[in-house]
Amino acid sequence: MANAWKIARKSNVQLPLILVVALAIVVVLLGKAQGSLFDRMRAHATDTIAPVLEKLRGPVAGFDRFVGSITEIFSVYEQNLKLKEENARLRQWRNVAIVLQERVGRYQALLHAVPDPKLNGVLARVIGRANRPFLQTMILDAGRQNHALPGQAVMDARGMIGRVYLAGQRTSWVILLTDLNSRIPVTVAPGNVQAMMTGDNSATPRLEMVSRTVVLHAGDQVTSSGDGGLLPAGLPIGTVVSDGAGGWRVALLADAAASQDVEILSFSKPPESPPPSAQLPAEAAGLKPQAPPPPPAPAAATQTNGQVGNPAQALSNAQVNVQAKPKPVTPAPVQPADSADAEDQDR
Amino acid sequence: MVSLERTQAPRFRYLVALVPMVCGLAGVLIANIPVSILGGLVPAPLFALVPVYFWCLVRPDLMTPAVAFSIGFAEDILSGGPPGIWTLAFVLTYALLARRRDSFAGLSGLAAVLGFAAAATFACAVAYFTVAGLNLLSGLHLPPLVPVVSELMMTVVFYIPTTLVVAWLHHKLVGASRSDV
Repeated sequence: MANAWKIARKSNVQLPLILVVALAIVVVLLGKAQGSLFDRMRAHATDTIAPVLEKLRGPVAGFDRFVGSITEIFSVYEQNLKLKEENARLRQWRNVAIVLQERVGRYQALLHAVPDPKLNGVLARVIGRANRPFLQTMILDAGRQNHALPGQAVMDARGMIGRVYLAGQRTSWVILLTDLNSRIPVTVAPGNVQAMMTGDNSATPRLEMVSRTVVLHAGDQVTSSGDGGLLPAGLPIGTVVSDGAGGWRVALLADAAASQDVEILSFSKPPESPPPSAQLPAEAAGLKPQAPPPPPAPAAATQTNGQVGNPAQALSNAQVNVQAKPKPVTPAPVQPADSADAEDQDR
Repeated sequence: MVSLERTQAPRFRYLVALVPMVCGLAGVLIANIPVSILGGLVPAPLFALVPVYFWCLVRPDLMTPAVAFSIGFAEDILSGGPPGIWTLAFVLTYALLARRRDSFAGLSGLAAVLGFAAAATFACAVAYFTVAGLNLLSGLHLPPLVPVVSELMMTVVFYIPTTLVVAWLHHKLVGASRSDV
């Protein structure tokens, strides 16, 4: 081999080399400015090789299980004892959880609490994982045609794994919670402490932006806070652990390396409509709120007054009428919108 | 410089010229098949750097800067990291090898492995500091060093088997057509 290398010839490549280096720098800057361009190329590439990945998945998963079984076969007995003990403890907690769930349901019914938003989920299969120096990701076999979109949370049976950050037609890439680029607003309970969980490519993401007056404890529960409206609140993420240097980290519930089937949660928080401003002082003073205005008849109001349809003005007119002396509103017969001659005659 | 003159059918010489690029792209594909063999404990090696290193020293007329750029660009697309990182790393490593080609090409045995380790270290350092610079521009943390070092170690460990394959392909396909291309 060494002899083969010694026969190398020189070539005059200096000029194109300089151009290529400049082009590479342009690619870096372009990737920083227009990352979506590269994302589309990646999604297209993944869609193309998805069938190959799905065929490779079976043998590789079997190999993974085989390798894992070699190391675990020596500790089966200890694991069995530990699992029995954990199972007994979890049964107790299950009974407690059922009682508390029923109690919470009764309280919510009594208080007319706003129900939690319903989440639609898409079950997807993990067809690949990539552990690169600057990215930890997994690839799912569900894409835009399965209504998987960037930003949606990805869960396994135990907790949150990450978020979809790139969606092709048939595949999607998930940025794991442990990835360097992952930032999730979380809530630590008890205490309802708000914090930011940031990945650093280690198995336990860091808890940042925690107020200095807050005291955390190892074992506190970490869930998504829902801040920003990108993720639903209350998704289980993990438990607080100390990093030994005065900081806090999160031991994740989910195991991204072992998950085979995950759920992509579709969540879009509906915009919250504030109460009518006219009612706020009355509510604060403990007075009886106003009766809700009768259903407006915009067609009748606009057509009988001869005004162009203005919902705000129609609503204010209706409120004035209610305060004066409400009369039963009889809806006028609906007229065609283009009957301008009839409106002129009414005037 | 010594030149080995061998005869080769002219119809194959253009196909032979594509062998280094095809090998580099195959290395990119193999390294970036997102299938975890060892549970994601270690990152995949930079297989594509071996053909770039080998043919940059042996046949720079076949492993041109444009080919190194293409292989690095493919690595960027499939690896999923920040765009352009490996493109820049491969091209700058190529520039280093082209500048010190006589020194690298004269290495043999363990020194050859160390020579490749130096080139791989340079490539990983370029990638790391480029990502660090981009992160600082965005107000993010510096990337962790351990994954890059892990990938560097895996690349060096897999250098010997990979370069055996590359050298075999070179002697079987490329070497015979050296004087024609």
